[in-house]
Amino acid sequence: MLGSGELGVTTFFSSSIPNDKCGANGLPLTPNSIKVLGQFQQLITLRHPNLCRYVDMIKCKHERVIVVFEHHRKNLAQLEPHVKTDSKLLQVFADVLGGLFYLHGEGLVHSYLGPSTILLTEEGVCKLTHHGVYAMTGCGAHVTFPVGQVKYSAPEIFCKLPGCESRNGSKVDTWSLGITMLEASLGITLWASLSVKQIIQRILSFLTIDVPVIDLIIRDHKCPEKLEKMSSSLQHLITRCLNVNPKQRPTAEELLEEACLQPYRKVHEIRGLNGCCMFSTGLRCQNLELSDFSQVEDEELEPLRELDIDQVYYLWQLAGGDIIRTLDNAGKIKSRPPITNLYSFVCDDGESFGAERDSSVLFDDHILVLSLDQLKQRLSNLDETAYYPLLEEENDESNGVGGNGSSNIELNETATLPLVIKEKDIEYQFHRILLYKRLLDGYPYKRAQIWKEARVDIPPLVRPMVWAALLEIEGDVYGRYIAIDKDSPTPTDRQIEVDIPRCHQYDDLLSSPMGHHKLKRVLKAWVMSHPELVYWQGLDSLAAPFLKLNFNQEALAFACLDAFIPKYLNMFFLKDNSLVIQEYLAVFRNLIAFHDPALSNHLEEIGFIPDLYAIPWFLTMFAHVFPLQKIFHLWDTMLLGNSSLPLCIGVAILHQLRDTLLSFGFNECILLFSDMPEIDIEKCVQDSIRIFCSTPRSATFRQYAKQSKSETSNKPWTSYYSTDPNTIKSALDSEPIPLEELKANRCSRISAADLIELGELAGPVGTKSPTKKTKNSRPKILIIDIRSPEEYQRGTVPGSVNIPHTTSFSVEGTLNPTPQVNTLNAHRLQVKVIIGSQGNTSLNFGNKLVALGYSKVCVLHRGIEALRPTGLLVVPPIEAHT
Amino acid sequence: MAGRGGAQWPNGAAQGKICQFKLVLLGESAVGKSSLVLRFVKGQFHEYQESTIGAAFLTQTVCLDDTTVKFEIWDTAGQERYHSLAPMYYRGAQAAIVVYDITNQDTFGRAKTWVKELQRQASPNIVIALAGNKADLANKRMVEYDEAQAYAEENSLLFMETSAKTAMNVNDIFLAIAKKLPKSEQGQASQPRQRGVDLNEQNQSSSGGCCKS
Repeated sequence: MLGSGELGVTTFFSSSIPNDKCGANGLPLTPNSIKVLGQFQQLITLRHPNLCRYVDMIKCKHERVIVVFEHHRKNLAQLEPHVKTDSKLLQVFADVLGGLFYLHGEGLVHSYLGPSTILLTEEGVCKLTHHGVYAMTGCGAHVTFPVGQVKYSAPEIFCKLPGCESRNGSKVDTWSLGITMLEASLGITLWASLSVKQIIQRILSFLTIDVPVIDLIIRDHKCPEKLEKMSSSLQHLITRCLNVNPKQRPTAEELLEEACLQPYRKVHEIRGLNGCCMFSTGLRCQNLELSDFSQVEDEELEPLRELDIDQVYYLWQLAGGDIIRTLDNAGKIKSRPPITNLYSFVCDDGESFGAERDSSVLFDDHILVLSLDQLKQRLSNLDETAYYPLLEEENDESNGVGGNGSSNIELNETATLPLVIKEKDIEYQFHRILLYKRLLDGYPYKRAQIWKEARVDIPPLVRPMVWAALLEIEGDVYGRYIAIDKDSPTPTDRQIEVDIPRCHQYDDLLSSPMGHHKLKRVLKAWVMSHPELVYWQGLDSLAAPFLKLNFNQEALAFACLDAFIPKYLNMFFLKDNSLVIQEYLAVFRNLIAFHDPALSNHLEEIGFIPDLYAIPWFLTMFAHVFPLQKIFHLWDTMLLGNSSLPLCIGVAILHQLRDTLLSFGFNECILLFSDMPEIDIEKCVQDSIRIFCSTPRSATFRQYAKQSKSETSNKPWTSYYSTDPNTIKSALDSEPIPLEELKANRCSRISAADLIELGELAGPVGTKSPTKKTKNSRPKILIIDIRSPEEYQRGTVPGSVNIPHTTSFSVEGTLNPTPQVNTLNAHRLQVKVIIGSQGNTSLNFGNKLVALGYSKVCVLHRGIEALRPTGLLVVPPIEAHT
Repeated sequence: MAGRGGAQWPNGAAQGKICQFKLVLLGESAVGKSSLVLRFVKGQFHEYQESTIGAAFLTQTVCLDDTTVKFEIWDTAGQERYHSLAPMYYRGAQAAIVVYDITNQDTFGRAKTWVKELQRQASPNIVIALAGNKADLANKRMVEYDEAQAYAEENSLLFMETSAKTAMNVNDIFLAIAKKLPKSEQGQASQPRQRGVDLNEQNQSSSGGCCKS
């Protein structure tokens, strides 16, 4: 919750690397700003009532980075003297120590502690800020400025102490707190008249004089009377902090145990970061306390301030907020012409003179506040109830985009706009993120509704969690991930190590050392937890989108990858996967012929078969061929579909390039796909859904696809394209087809069950078949019986036409014109089901039709025999055609 | 010359004969196989060239005196695991470039294994070239030029150190191969195209390695 906070920003330069250097692998060195960006990410996950939250980091030109975080306008230095009571100061002590204790527990050191970095909220709670500067800059390694405030720095920062190994252990913070509190309690500014050099000398002198530091400082400032006024508890605490020996200096944890602080300690229930609780195994509502609504009236917050800070920031950006411009207007982006940084004089020995130090490379800890006015104005016409969308409404079910009130119609209109517009529409996004946050809080019970909303769209802000929900991730993902050994060397390590520096490296996060480290761990975890599967090149691309979305939650990235692979890539990562891939490609090839025989005929003729271009498509579910942003939009829909949807996406891609491909020969086609051309993903997604819906389920049957559980469990059937073709229920369903047979034929197959359903042969039944979507009463299929007229007369499928295979084709291979052929020609758009006897005649007939350019041709698997047991066959009416 | 385009395309109507050859690139992961092909075919270089999955196929044509030589280039995945697929790709190849990384001794060892396999399994007349890539990183060299040269001579391989990054010797190595290939009538493109990979073939082939192991 934003509460009384603000969005603050600060900016600094990371040090630049000479551009003639390259790394051991020959690749350019990673810029420091990218390293900083990678290290910054973990700070976003810090959650503590005494720490300001980090929200975002933006990388700009010239190694500049901008940090966005929670801010409060008042700091300790501005605390009025009359409120500096003993109890207030002890409260500050306790708050700061609480924050430090948490920070140190996370393995981080503040290192920039001072009165200006201890903020006070309107409610009087202390919150630390700039506590991540040291960590994000790699302990100061990636910047030219020192991370720390000289006056508050512990002596060991300036000189190595004997017997002390780390100069910057967490105890430097204890010292800084001591100086800060001493200054605050005395109400004076220490060493106000001394230069930086003199201050450092002063601090170092503490090491040599065997007198308590607090006494030395009091002597310096000649104010013993002020010390006397200080309470003994404060004196005691400050004295303990200001121990020159870091070994004897207490930690934050030890100080918190002091008796005098006990009344001020607060027990905080530290909640995980958003969504963590989605997968908790504990009882989520165990400690739930409903606030007493009768009392809130007085201090009611603006509803905007009740939003989470990351939501506010997301909306702030959509409201037209531009951080770089804001900083620039405030004069925070100073840049000097490079020529002014040149030396005026350089000696033979390299000594140089005359260059002024550019002050902009130093750290400016001043925090600029981002104004929320524009955001408030943009949201001003929203009703307050919009902030609290109701999930259960009396007349629910009907409205596609959830939400209530008058704006509903408008929202539904926006929902139909192109994605790029929707993602920039602040009001729309406002409703969507609030609705999703509520739904996600109710996961898994609200899964069906999440599924339903995801069919409309998924806002970028909530995508990580929505994906996890769509992949049906549940349970203790963190515990499971932690238990996997990700560190022991394995034979796959070298391969992973050479692949990662080539995987989606245009992305700043994934190209950072932290990104490499995390991707490696996720991949190793996957390899370790699947002894029957192996790492194939491409797995890195597949894992990258999940890591990019869940950069701070490796465990969830892993869980998503782990759920994704069996769903879409079952057995693809077997050590011997050739049969699996070949079956997949053969089905794909048939699917192209089914939907676009002309294109298929052309590609077959020039020899441009899927084996030559589609392996990287499917092995990585397009993650190897599209940039991340496109993958996100593609997978948003793909995750709603079953394991056959990717095949339709493949056809949709070809469809989009149809005209180009038709005009191209083999070489040009090869060149075209060697670098995936620009594809309109939104169109591709729409096309693939359309293709999916006009494909009989059994036409994409694959024996190696994951056999879905026959009982449909509690899975919501809100998505009509989620029924899996691999649900084998009865003898009428599909059965495995030998690979050679699949590859030898170009037309697809349909199972008897599918035929009965599509042709409504068993009477109208409540069916979920995609092709039944439209209310059109015209038959969706044309059944062609190709047996001889005699056999046909003895019994056939109701409504079928008889085009005997023996007599129908002319010598040239075209169909002889007959009334039945005219019927066929009149049903170009319908699915054509060819029924013959057993044997290859039907397949040959189908192949001929494909070659002639008939679309949607499929053959009834096992022929007429498959239908005999059903008792559906009838004697056809005598037709008066002569 | 880093920005230079690919090899010369045939200008206008080529009067001479047209020969078509299948060429396969083999070698350990991340030695620069795809980069070499990309430099040769498109004149480009990407620092972060993505890994190849399965195999990538490209073509390029070069002119050699009065002959137009068209290369069908099979750029294979370097991962050891894809090894089982390699025979499908080098079967019927008239030329091969075995690539190693001069900054990594292991990749040279792997290159030798590939050469051995080609000599044993590929067509007997196959022209094999050895390319020591990443020559621009000479200061990190781990494989001596002389060592590789001696090995190449022993095995009668073409040998060059190349750099896909600077384009050094990239076109040259392809041209050298083109020169060495027999440009008899049999080499011509008129034969019916056996495009891509006949995945059925594995069942009949006695070498059998392709999809087992």
